[in-house]
Amino acid sequence: MAVYRRSARPRFTLVLLVLTALTLLTLDERTGGTGVIGAVRDGARDAFAPVQDAAESVFRPVEDFFQSALHYGDLEAENARLREQLAERRAALLRAEDADRERRALLAQQDLEFAGDIPAVSARVVSASISNFELVMEIDRGTDHGVAAGMPVVTGSGLVGRVTDTSRTRSTVLLITDPTSSVGVRVAESGDVGVAVGRGPRSSLRVDLIEPETKLQKGDVLVTSGLDQSVFPPQIPVGTVVASGAAVGALQQDLTLEPVVDLDRLSFVKVLQWSPRP
Amino acid sequence: MEPEAMTFVAAKVSLLVLFALVLQQAVLADLRVSGVRPDVMLLVAVAAGMAGRSERGAVVGFVAGLLADLFSPTPLGLAALTFSVVGYVVGSIQTGIIRSVWWIPVLTALVASVVAVVLYALVAAMIGRAQYVNLQLLFTAGGVAVVNAALALPAVRALRWGLGSSEVYAR
Repeated sequence: MAVYRRSARPRFTLVLLVLTALTLLTLDERTGGTGVIGAVRDGARDAFAPVQDAAESVFRPVEDFFQSALHYGDLEAENARLREQLAERRAALLRAEDADRERRALLAQQDLEFAGDIPAVSARVVSASISNFELVMEIDRGTDHGVAAGMPVVTGSGLVGRVTDTSRTRSTVLLITDPTSSVGVRVAESGDVGVAVGRGPRSSLRVDLIEPETKLQKGDVLVTSGLDQSVFPPQIPVGTVVASGAAVGALQQDLTLEPVVDLDRLSFVKVLQWSPRP
Repeated sequence: MEPEAMTFVAAKVSLLVLFALVLQQAVLADLRVSGVRPDVMLLVAVAAGMAGRSERGAVVGFVAGLLADLFSPTPLGLAALTFSVVGYVVGSIQTGIIRSVWWIPVLTALVASVVAVVLYALVAAMIGRAQYVNLQLLFTAGGVAVVNAALALPAVRALRWGLGSSEVYAR
């Protein structure tokens, strides 16, 4: 009798735990980030933020020391390459300023916003990939700093993703490479619009809905289309064309896009305080 | 077990789980092993199964998984479910074998971690996150398993301290 009871108890405990977990899962799916579960999650992240920052300040110097010791040669080479790039970019910028002035005038006439004028919150990337299953990162700004869910996140070079969840001091950003992310894009020259869908970490984006006839070359830049109801404002660079082409009789092009931003090595980003027009 | 001893065990294990959480979320926040983020909370669950009986493995697995879920954008309860099942299974097959050969805990951690990660993705697919199941899953499972195997021996020792080593021989 006693033996029977003792060997049944672990199984009973397991069943109880599994049922509890299933209940939590169902609750989470139903409330989807809001409600009690959302509040507990937000609270936990906010409570943990100081611990994270403290550990970061303790361990970052050690990490940096090892990184620099191991990669000194690489760093020197990269430094030289970046200086050269910077010089080139400066020259290009001077040439582009004229064209930009004209463009702004035209856009202002048509009452469209563009990324340069949107107020932004600068944020540091706390954790570049929180999970092995969702392509999200965590930044150190939250509702306390004016960040809200749905806001686009960019760097100086282009689009990173958008904010999906916020607590008071932390926000979660869904990257454009996540399979559930889709970004409305436009071909700069022809004005063709399509949708760029993520395909996983370190993979290029797939672009749907571009006509087979549209001529595209490797290196062409696609920007956000910013169409009505679009989640992202217009004119933000998304990626460069890697491969294009269409099979005979296909309804759309086979187009892949390499993200403009190096999503693996982000340290600082900007959250654009922008929401779609109602 | 008497209530005072139970509370003491609970306190020690809570400390260990909290330590693992700080490790996972703060110290190792940016660590990547060939692109894969380690999962120290899973290690705690597996080590608890090895150091204690199946029931202890299930409970510690549940708590570790729940904390992991709380700080993750993934569905809440998914890791709690997976880790508690894995902790239970590890606990029920490990009783008595643990001291026979030194590398058994390492091998167990390796296999249990692979199974846990795959199970996690499969359950996620069942509740609507089918994108978790892809080729990358194999790399994720491998990366997590290798790190957990490497840390298995100290983890088991720590959990044995936390759970009270007499558990190893009890049935």
